[in-house]
Amino acid sequence: MKKKILSSLLAMTMVVASITACGEAADTTTTETADTQASTEAAPATEAATEAAAETADATSDEPVTLKWALWDVSSTVYYQPLIDAYTAAHPNVTIEMVDLGSTDYSTVLGTQLSGSGSDFDVVTVKDVPGYVSLVNKGVLEPLNDLIAQDGVDLSLYNGVTDQVTIDGNLYELPFRSDIWVLYYNKDIFDAAGVDYPTNDMTWDEYDALARSVTDTTAGSEIYGAHYHTWRSTIQLDGILDGKNTIVDGSYEFTKPYYEMVLNQQKDGVCMDYATLKTQGLHYSAAFAQGNVATMNMGTWFIATLIEKINSGEYTDCTNWGIVKYPHADGVEAGSTLSTITALAIPTSAPNKDAAWDFVKFVSGSEGAEVMASTGNIPAMTNDKIVDLIASMEGFPTDEASKEALVTSHTYLEMPANDKSSEIETVLNEQHDLIMNEEITVDEGIAAMNEGVQAIIGQ
Amino acid sequence: MAATDVTAMKKNMKRRQQKRNLVAYSFIAPNFIGFAVFTLGPIILALLMSFAEWDGSNPMKFVGFDNFINIFKDERFLASLKNTIVYSVFTVPVTLIMALGLAILLNQKIKGTNFFRTVAFFPYVASLVAVAAVWNMLFTPAKGGIVNQLIINVFHGEALKWAASSSTVMLTIIMFSVWKNMGYYMVIYLAGLQGISEDLYEAASLDGANSWQKFRHITVPQLKPTTFFVTIMLTINCFKVYDIVYMLAGGSNGVVNKSAMVLVYYIYEEAFRNWKLGQASAAALVLFAIVLVVTLIQFRGEKNYAND
Repeated sequence: MKKKILSSLLAMTMVVASITACGEAADTTTTETADTQASTEAAPATEAATEAAAETADATSDEPVTLKWALWDVSSTVYYQPLIDAYTAAHPNVTIEMVDLGSTDYSTVLGTQLSGSGSDFDVVTVKDVPGYVSLVNKGVLEPLNDLIAQDGVDLSLYNGVTDQVTIDGNLYELPFRSDIWVLYYNKDIFDAAGVDYPTNDMTWDEYDALARSVTDTTAGSEIYGAHYHTWRSTIQLDGILDGKNTIVDGSYEFTKPYYEMVLNQQKDGVCMDYATLKTQGLHYSAAFAQGNVATMNMGTWFIATLIEKINSGEYTDCTNWGIVKYPHADGVEAGSTLSTITALAIPTSAPNKDAAWDFVKFVSGSEGAEVMASTGNIPAMTNDKIVDLIASMEGFPTDEASKEALVTSHTYLEMPANDKSSEIETVLNEQHDLIMNEEITVDEGIAAMNEGVQAIIGQ
Repeated sequence: MAATDVTAMKKNMKRRQQKRNLVAYSFIAPNFIGFAVFTLGPIILALLMSFAEWDGSNPMKFVGFDNFINIFKDERFLASLKNTIVYSVFTVPVTLIMALGLAILLNQKIKGTNFFRTVAFFPYVASLVAVAAVWNMLFTPAKGGIVNQLIINVFHGEALKWAASSSTVMLTIIMFSVWKNMGYYMVIYLAGLQGISEDLYEAASLDGANSWQKFRHITVPQLKPTTFFVTIMLTINCFKVYDIVYMLAGGSNGVVNKSAMVLVYYIYEEAFRNWKLGQASAAALVLFAIVLVVTLIQFRGEKNYAND
């Protein structure tokens, strides 16, 4: 009898212990990759900056504050440190500690960290819209509406992107980086083939013809006119750029012409085989760097990588590159393209919300935007000055078309804010895979997408 | 007088016994506390969560058996259940037979035994990520792939898409798994083989038994405890499979399709991609129940033969 009571007590304490242990575990892991030394070094940057500090810092107190910022890939991302340097130069009392959660499972890890009360992040980077929606659903992000109204932040400068991530009238994040999709091309291949470069105003048919005109299927010295990474976004989303459909509607007939175009290209050796790309896990940057890919649709995040790897001498076969606007459907204005946003948000559990908001406002605002642009990345807030800054970067293509390519007419989010986005993604990914593997016809795939997504929406 | 003496002595003994118990408990404490905190606690939590709807931060909501009903309506769960069973049904016996065969071969007194043993054991110690990449290169879906070339030129067959196609992906995974793990079970069998007394074989030879008879009537019965252990470990490991599937069929974005989805992957996806911790826990309990039942059946089999 006694033993029974004892053992059940023991069991109970164990459960309790494990619960508290969970919370503590979250605590300790966050400090792992903290990087504090850089920001203290950066403090005495310039005299002018400290003067500016006196002016701008009056909004917040001068007491020392340490902000914990959740992000990914600290070592390979060029803009975190410049952003921090620029901010701390103006706010010497603030120290910013970066916590790297890794890029592969970033959204998953962040979601786990913010669940419960163990984490003490002040600012978190939100990687994509599905990740944003799941955090908002979990109720762990602070709504920013009042702060935006109070400080008069002009949301119109974000080109309507903030409207697309407003959920039930509340905005929980401010974008600081916005990538658009463009068409990269290797000028050497076009020169060798004696074909004119792609232009900023091409229909999909013209693009298809162009890709075919530079293709060479000779075994051993293949030239691929086009390259599609294995993501469904490289093909499916081409169909939403006419603005008539979205990817969460539950009807996907609009993807058919694009699937047919790419499947025909695949059959004729214009692009690499999907199944091979998938099993070998060939990264799009490696594919383009091989020097036998004439054109590739990809986001502008690839620009900074390309410049850096070419400068370091790692990429030698694609040094002569350029970009043009995404191809467009008939009757649609050139410059319609996909976009993804990276944003900052403040968790409800943040210890220093006021200081965090000030930092978020800085990074997403015009000062942060200039820092972003100077590192070759496209800030969410764009104007002519920003485009000039990026285009004047060392290593950016010097032709006028490449600069012009960065100007958009309409942008559509890769995944709009939707409650069911992660489940919808699962269905779309699966059918994309089957279609591209030619295990089912395009029509069968579309029927399965319609059925699967409608079932999810109807739940 | 005498009576009080006895009770005092009894008391004393009891106290001593308690003291001894405490010492013993303190010895197992480090291990047991770790087990309780990191294994037992989460198991109990999972049990509770399987009857609740929870996304990790909003309040938990008790939903009764809804989670279990939902997963059995979810075709992804059913597909993962089917795939896991198919995987186990093929992987367990094939690995067992290959491991036993290898062990018997490498138990002979031939030149270079140690070298060949190392060769057979190597896949098990090699990094999964590295060998999976090599495997995917050999079994590339392209017509120019090494294995496909072999099929086309030597066997005059058709090129297969291996891990990329839903019809051959499980086959590829099973082959990979057998190849990777047989070395480990071979070592266990080798130890078992060396524990068999030479006298038995000698006596059998004197009675005129041939090799097959010796194998059938000496080796197999003598190895029964080893086989029992190997079967249980293999079965449990098969039901827990995740990494191999993720590496071979995950592609560049780590998305595994219905055709290759296994239970553990389903649990991961429901819990950490869709934030349905309740549904994931329910699936985990189903997995637990399956492993439990399989193990109980095997234990019963063990008992039966032990009574022979």
